[in-house]
Amino acid sequence: MTQHRITIANRDNAVYRVDPHKPLLTSLLDQGVDLPYGCKYGGCITCAARLIAGEVNQKAQVALNNRQINDGYVILCVARPVTDCTLEIGVESHGDLYRNPFLDPLAAHELKADIATPLEEKT
Amino acid sequence: MTEHCCGPGYASPSEAMQAPREKLLYTIAIYTGTGIQKPDYLCTIDADPDSPTYSQVISRLEMPGIGDELHHMGWNACSSCHGDADMERKYLIVPGVRSTNLHIVDCGTDPRNPALHKIVKGSDIKARTNLSAPHTVHCLGSEIIISMLGDAKGNAPGGYLHLNKDFEIVGRWENSMGDIKFGYDFWYQPRHNVMVSSEWAAPNTFMPGFDLEEVGHLKYGRELHFWDFEKREPKQTMYLGEDGLIPLEVRFHHNPDSSHGFVGAALSANIIHWWKDAAGEWQWEKIVDVGNEPHPEWPIPVPGVISVILLSMDDRFLYLCNWLHGDIRQYDISDPHNAKLTGQVWMGGLLDKAPFVNGVKVTGGPQMIQLSLDGKRLYVTTSLFSTWDNQFYPEIRTNGGCMLMVNCDTETGGMEIDPNFVVDFGKEPNGPSRCHETRYPGGDCTSDIWV
Repeated sequence: MTQHRITIANRDNAVYRVDPHKPLLTSLLDQGVDLPYGCKYGGCITCAARLIAGEVNQKAQVALNNRQINDGYVILCVARPVTDCTLEIGVESHGDLYRNPFLDPLAAHELKADIATPLEEKT
Repeated sequence: MTEHCCGPGYASPSEAMQAPREKLLYTIAIYTGTGIQKPDYLCTIDADPDSPTYSQVISRLEMPGIGDELHHMGWNACSSCHGDADMERKYLIVPGVRSTNLHIVDCGTDPRNPALHKIVKGSDIKARTNLSAPHTVHCLGSEIIISMLGDAKGNAPGGYLHLNKDFEIVGRWENSMGDIKFGYDFWYQPRHNVMVSSEWAAPNTFMPGFDLEEVGHLKYGRELHFWDFEKREPKQTMYLGEDGLIPLEVRFHHNPDSSHGFVGAALSANIIHWWKDAAGEWQWEKIVDVGNEPHPEWPIPVPGVISVILLSMDDRFLYLCNWLHGDIRQYDISDPHNAKLTGQVWMGGLLDKAPFVNGVKVTGGPQMIQLSLDGKRLYVTTSLFSTWDNQFYPEIRTNGGCMLMVNCDTETGGMEIDPNFVVDFGKEPNGPSRCHETRYPGGDCTSDIWV
């Protein structure tokens, strides 16, 4: 079976080989990586990490709005690697995850997928 | 403790007010969302002013797992089973909102060193009842009901988990959720055969943080639900609209014959009062409206965000916290239609009115409060919810939360922060943690209901 290489940028670029069919949280916890997590179904954002390179499938996540997705955040408890990936993990990676909603409101296209208005294509 | 013939609690609210002063506090402290990879824990705090360890954490009970996000909690028994000599107020039920685990903590065997008695696993609750995200715990006689804010996948409206006195899952308590869109807090008043429940949002909405735009998309609550308590189904819904955006803590009068109750609408920063009129119909009205405050760096005025309310045991005073403004207010509600502001203190908040109190930098604002049975001491903590803390008060990661005590004048009204009591959770042994709800061994002003 083909495994993917996961590099943790903020853990001295440590590399782990993981099963593409398992959520990254499970694979990394099993190999001893200390990671925060909560609900384990993709809804609570506790396990969010930043994807620096590579691609994941995180269709099952319901925690992130479109701005957070555009900023590279992934929900490790449901995300499965599609390619080799480089991640920044833990609360250290959460710098852009939280914002004061009164000072920095979301645009209509930055809301969660189920209520976002798509950006009109510029012609 | 008070001499009595029977089971736990007190024969009446007036008897509860005569109970001995609380000497221990149980307070939740969390590391979830802080970056410190340690379990959340239950603190025991010395509240005896004659003790050498007064105003200090004297023991810490860590939960077995990481990331539970302990939040609210409740006793296994209260005055609702005062007549049952087989029952004892011994166990705290301490749920994890994110993990759905229920931690049953034995506080009776050694009150200064609570111990874990049992865990009801979140995975079992989800499998048996399709519920998750436990919030409010109330006992009803020897049974326990917990509001669960989501289904097993974090979708609204969730329902109510029913446990027996041995903390075994009975199943779902409610027979129907009717058209209820969201769950949050609830309180019952059995002499009127009524339960009232309020609305936060789906766990998948509120857990990742607060997006203001989602309020307009109806992802947050604005309704109040009146239940037929015996039939265990909702009977009537009050649409509160713009006056009642995100109605959170629900409090009936402690007097079991009264039909009056109150809810704090967090985002509207209003207090809503309800009662049963002479014709037997439920009515509601707005009795407090906290105005938005200007902020030098904000393009829009800051809403108060009333994150909690509670009533004194004699039903005379209502207390509320404006978590973003940073004030605690005391209202005389002797006439529940006409609330009179009688006291106000400031601590933390975004308006910079009281950044330091008792030598501690207050990060966050007044949030959870608990009042002594005699109504004279109000204990207050500063953290709301890990992700929301991170949005509004990001410095709480390094500063931690804190607990203060407010002395309340029960004769003429008025409040004053006690200069000799402060617990700085920024100095906890494993690093800065955040403190949340508090309970006392002998019961408090949000734990007991009379049947």
